[in-house]
Amino acid sequence: MGGSAEGRIRLTILGGFLGSGKTTWLRHQLHAGAYAHAVIMVNEAAETPVDDALLGRSDRLVVLAGGCCCCAGRDRLIEELRRLCDERSRDSVSADRFDGIVLETSGLADPAAIVEAIRADPVLVHHIVVAEIIVTVDALHGLAELRGEPLGRRQIEAATRLVLTKTDAAEPAGIARLLATLATLNPAAPVEATARGSEIALPDLPPAEAEDLPDLAGATSAPIFPIRIELGEDIDWTAFTVWLSALLYARGDDVMRAKGVVRTPAGRLLLQSVRKVVQRPEILPPQPDREDDTIVLIGRGYTEQQIRASLDYFVRASHS
Amino acid sequence: MCASCGFPAAPGHWTEAGAAEPHDRLRARFRRSQVLRAVLPSYGLSAHDGGIVPGIQLSSLTGGETIVRNLEDLWVAAERMCGRPVDPLDPRFTGAARS
Repeated sequence: MGGSAEGRIRLTILGGFLGSGKTTWLRHQLHAGAYAHAVIMVNEAAETPVDDALLGRSDRLVVLAGGCCCCAGRDRLIEELRRLCDERSRDSVSADRFDGIVLETSGLADPAAIVEAIRADPVLVHHIVVAEIIVTVDALHGLAELRGEPLGRRQIEAATRLVLTKTDAAEPAGIARLLATLATLNPAAPVEATARGSEIALPDLPPAEAEDLPDLAGATSAPIFPIRIELGEDIDWTAFTVWLSALLYARGDDVMRAKGVVRTPAGRLLLQSVRKVVQRPEILPPQPDREDDTIVLIGRGYTEQQIRASLDYFVRASHS
Repeated sequence: MCASCGFPAAPGHWTEAGAAEPHDRLRARFRRSQVLRAVLPSYGLSAHDGGIVPGIQLSSLTGGETIVRNLEDLWVAAERMCGRPVDPLDPRFTGAARS
């Protein structure tokens, strides 16, 4: 038997702000063969999970939906981790015994709060060791998030490794400024640049200074919350996209994230946006047992009632 | 950059991804015009798409006119023509103005 650290389960926490590319990065790692024998846990703040549809390569997937696991969903996370520890302790011989856990947090989670919760738990503290805290940073929107979101800064500060995502879509000057700013927040964490999950070389970067981030202590901003919209089976894709494209154009800084799977005559489409940027929908293979046609919007600055009434207007008023 | 760990993406603009066959695409264009005609007039704008030539024709009551490729360009042009963005959360669409 090895020492206590070797006997414990290695937990990798994958964090990062809303839409910063956590699932894309993890999907590529699984495709490339990493974490092959790990249990993948996916936590989503909304009640409707979407990311699990993309992580089908993992052998073992646990979904914790309907509450961020650093706050509202913390008890469920602890309970699930305890169950996994128990399972592994009882099964010490089988070949498919898992060798670690990867926890993909929701975009609203503070990784440090999760580490604290594990350390404070009398069972988990003896069974789990946090091996790595990987935090994804969006090369396009990262600076804006660091300027305005205290949570964005806390995620960076908690990281042991930073993964810069969407590097191919950002300007070198913006990347240079973001990297300089990251170095002031967390000088110890190495940074790797990626595009669609795989590591790429950084372009030649101009010299840049770190952003002088405003002091957000005491600043009160409205909480970020998810809204789940069921579009129904006979979804009017066209009216819906007229509405969503206008909404993101006018309110893209408030509607920070939209994601969902919608069935259309052209197939099952994975729709996702980060602020004003909408990804070209991926066409997902059929999966009869899943509940589709639901979109989750995550943001602030509006009410659920406004969102529903507005969508209803676009879909119905135009029929009259 | 890896292109093999994801699923194929729908071609064209994302708002047009719901229709793959020619007849579905044409139907979607007409439906798009219908929705725009219900939304734009309160901003002093109108849209037309006859389904024959590509693009959407956007006009303002003050005589401005432009052709845009897709909805994303349309909202940019609409803001330019009427001086403010078309906001789906404006009370005129959420019902707050009617109550």
